[in-house]
Amino acid sequence: MKNDLKLPVQDVNLEPFMATPPQYTRKKVLMKTDKVYKCKIINVIDLTEYEKLFHLKILDRVERKIFQFRPGQFVMLEVPGYGEVPISLSSSTNNHEYIELCIRKTGRTTNVLHEASVGAYVGLRGPFGNSFPMEKMQGNNVLLIAGGLGLAPLRGPLYWVSEYRDLYKDVHVLYGAKEPSQMLFTYQYNEWEKVNHINMLSIVENPDENWNGRVGMITELLDEIEIDPINTYAIVCGPPVMFKFVCNRLDKIGIPMNKMFVSLERRMHCGMGKCCRCMVGSTFTCVDGPVFDYWSVLNLKEAI
Amino acid sequence: MIYRVISKSEFRKFLESLIESNVTIGPVQSDVDRNNDPIYKFQQVHSADEIELDYTISYTAVKNFFLPYREKLSEYTFTDDDWDQTIEYRVHPRVLVGLRPCDINALNILDRIFYKGTYPSPYYISRRKNTFIIGLDHEPLPDCFCSSMNHHTVTEGFDVFCSDIGDSYYLAINSSPAFDFLKKFQVTVPTDEDDKSYIERRKFIKKSFKTNVEIGSLPSFLDIEFDSPIWKKWGDKCLNCGTCAMVCPTCYCYQVEENIAVNLKKASKDMMLYSCTILDFAEVAGGHNFRPKKEDRLKYRYYHHYRGFEENAKEPICVGCNRCGRACLADINPKDVINDLRLDNEERS
Amino acid sequence: MKYLGLGPQKPKVGVFDFTCCEGCELQLANKETTLVDFLSLMEIVNFREISSDKGDDYEIALIEGSISRADEIERLKKIRERAKVLVAIGTCACFGGINSLKNRYPIDEVNREVYGEMPKETLEVKPVKEYVQVDLAIPGCPINKAEVERIIVDVVTKAEIKFPKYPVCVECKQHINTCLFDLGQFCLGPVTQAGCDAVCTSGKMGCLGCRGPFEAPNFEAFFDIAKEKGFSKDYIKERLSFFNAFSEVKDV
Repeated sequence: MKNDLKLPVQDVNLEPFMATPPQYTRKKVLMKTDKVYKCKIINVIDLTEYEKLFHLKILDRVERKIFQFRPGQFVMLEVPGYGEVPISLSSSTNNHEYIELCIRKTGRTTNVLHEASVGAYVGLRGPFGNSFPMEKMQGNNVLLIAGGLGLAPLRGPLYWVSEYRDLYKDVHVLYGAKEPSQMLFTYQYNEWEKVNHINMLSIVENPDENWNGRVGMITELLDEIEIDPINTYAIVCGPPVMFKFVCNRLDKIGIPMNKMFVSLERRMHCGMGKCCRCMVGSTFTCVDGPVFDYWSVLNLKEAI
Repeated sequence: MIYRVISKSEFRKFLESLIESNVTIGPVQSDVDRNNDPIYKFQQVHSADEIELDYTISYTAVKNFFLPYREKLSEYTFTDDDWDQTIEYRVHPRVLVGLRPCDINALNILDRIFYKGTYPSPYYISRRKNTFIIGLDHEPLPDCFCSSMNHHTVTEGFDVFCSDIGDSYYLAINSSPAFDFLKKFQVTVPTDEDDKSYIERRKFIKKSFKTNVEIGSLPSFLDIEFDSPIWKKWGDKCLNCGTCAMVCPTCYCYQVEENIAVNLKKASKDMMLYSCTILDFAEVAGGHNFRPKKEDRLKYRYYHHYRGFEENAKEPICVGCNRCGRACLADINPKDVINDLRLDNEERS
Repeated sequence: MKYLGLGPQKPKVGVFDFTCCEGCELQLANKETTLVDFLSLMEIVNFREISSDKGDDYEIALIEGSISRADEIERLKKIRERAKVLVAIGTCACFGGINSLKNRYPIDEVNREVYGEMPKETLEVKPVKEYVQVDLAIPGCPINKAEVERIIVDVVTKAEIKFPKYPVCVECKQHINTCLFDLGQFCLGPVTQAGCDAVCTSGKMGCLGCRGPFEAPNFEAFFDIAKEKGFSKDYIKERLSFFNAFSEVKDV
């Protein structure tokens, strides 16, 4: 007699969550983890020769509602056929209309994105990663220190403190760039200072003939402001070399290491703690980070 | 778990029936190496005769049946000025015969990341759920060290596990389909005699391990030895060829690439299993490489394997099969590297 | 791509052969399932093997073969002047290839051996890059059509071209092959640029290194291993020099 031992098909597609739009904020839930939200590029602002600010609008209304994030988180931006890249969110958490991403032209995906016209469709997954502890910072002074492209991820907390300005004491933005032509969001400095009462200081390493501001390294800006180390939180974003110098200085000034936050940059391929490309020490930048306090960074091997 | 005993001839009939009704994958001899020893691989079989139940160990692990070396994650279809994304991960059920305890434990480790991790992977889960696994115990090879990693026995992650007790197999039945299937065959409830033979067999296997790797307090120890000159010594030998990661049962790091089809009408987003020893593993946009040196990349692999990540509760992911050590042309193997580190540490203290 | 507002470019392409077997050109005309799509990505203005057109208005010139005669140098330089982008395709164009075996002997001796009483004007074999600037090199003996397709699609869709940064071993292991060293053979896989999909080693033939070294080869360790496995210095040298793709290696 023939024994029929045919195994039944276990269809993962039938799991209830596979049918609904993915909610990346709901972890540990089975979903179409590679499904992207389709977005339209509704505006492109040229910032510098290499950086552009993209305004993306999620097309589907339900997905637009689902997409909520916190300052410091990032998204995986998909340009179909070219690639998917991690980009930190640069917009206000209260902006539910469109998402702002500041993107440098630096590889296969971003190069072609810079050529894309308004109206083109791209994909988005996320938001991923942890965020800056904005609530914990309430009632304190806030130091936002950025170098180069580091101003892009800092725009999230900057919008946050501006929108809840009375909950924070003094807010300083210290921004350093290589050259004046590489400075980002220059058109907003005035607004930040005048409207949001944020002390905005900038410095460049190599000035051009039109530059009449400060010249030097970013750490020099720290000499210009008064810092109350006990009641100050700092967020530092920039290239890895900058972290060391700035955080060491802040440490000397007396800001506790667990009140200094940095946002690490790695090349994630999945954003979901799988591909291991963004591993730092024993943590993943995409799931456990990208925001780490400086104490954790010092304890993570190869972090900076 | 329900225990039964099945004679080897009846077990064969069970296999034949499984093969008749399903895609079945089992160990077969594929090559003979330079020392005239057989080399085994897992591949699809069409008759129980092809399966070598008494095989030593497969050259490559079975992870590729769950995490294929290359896999399409999604497909984009382009229309005039728009595109559509389709995702497909449904698979047909299949049977995997003859997995060793370490192989099943490796799948359990992958489960932690792809099944129970922060973002469960439907691709992996679909394959895992649709695979009927028959495990098989074996006498360890001289260089196996899975007992050191505590992965020489397995208690979950399979449908049936067979222990060889002479003329019969002592079966641990772990799923209801497996129990239903076996109802159709002559299986008996274990007698006292069977239980005794089973315990003897377990004892015998435990005693047969010839290689021991001391892994106690390895996590903190790897931290202390982070800047040890030992890494340079082993790094200099490393060919950066990625072989270790390819044959490893738990290495799962990957890379994602997208390619547009020649007709420009479609594009696919593909994942490819990668290796942390490959040059551009930690390269970021703009070309900065966080691990430009060979020794840093090799160290990272050991770090991942023996220290573990937050994502999998900081547990080592090595199962002790020593496939990497066997496949490595440069003879970089966990036992020697870890012993070297320990020696270095002792000398320094 | 059109959805980004970027119309596909249809480059004018010329394919030219020098000292070679024309096998790479044959590869370009191979793989029938996608051949029509492949050819419609470009406008072929000069390609002796598939067309009688002899246009000079190409933007991309694909060069097959090594350079071994004075008139070839002249012709190559003219092509370089006309082309915006010059691509060396195949091992001969990239490294000199099999033809380079000729360089082991005095040129007169070689000439006599081949042409006897009717000697021809001939030079030492050199890769294309020795005479003109090469913008892109696609190695392989022959080239891998799938890789060429990918590169052409990248050019047409304005995507950055990427080559693997790992050796043949990765692709070989992904085919679940047994290491050829384990079978007692010699193989250049551990130091050779991937992208060939490990065709030779999957057929149990040791890699001959036609694609040249990958980005981070560890020659020193590799030679030590090979010697330990019983392969002599001379044998390793012989294998390395087969395609002249490892000329950077001075000693083993």
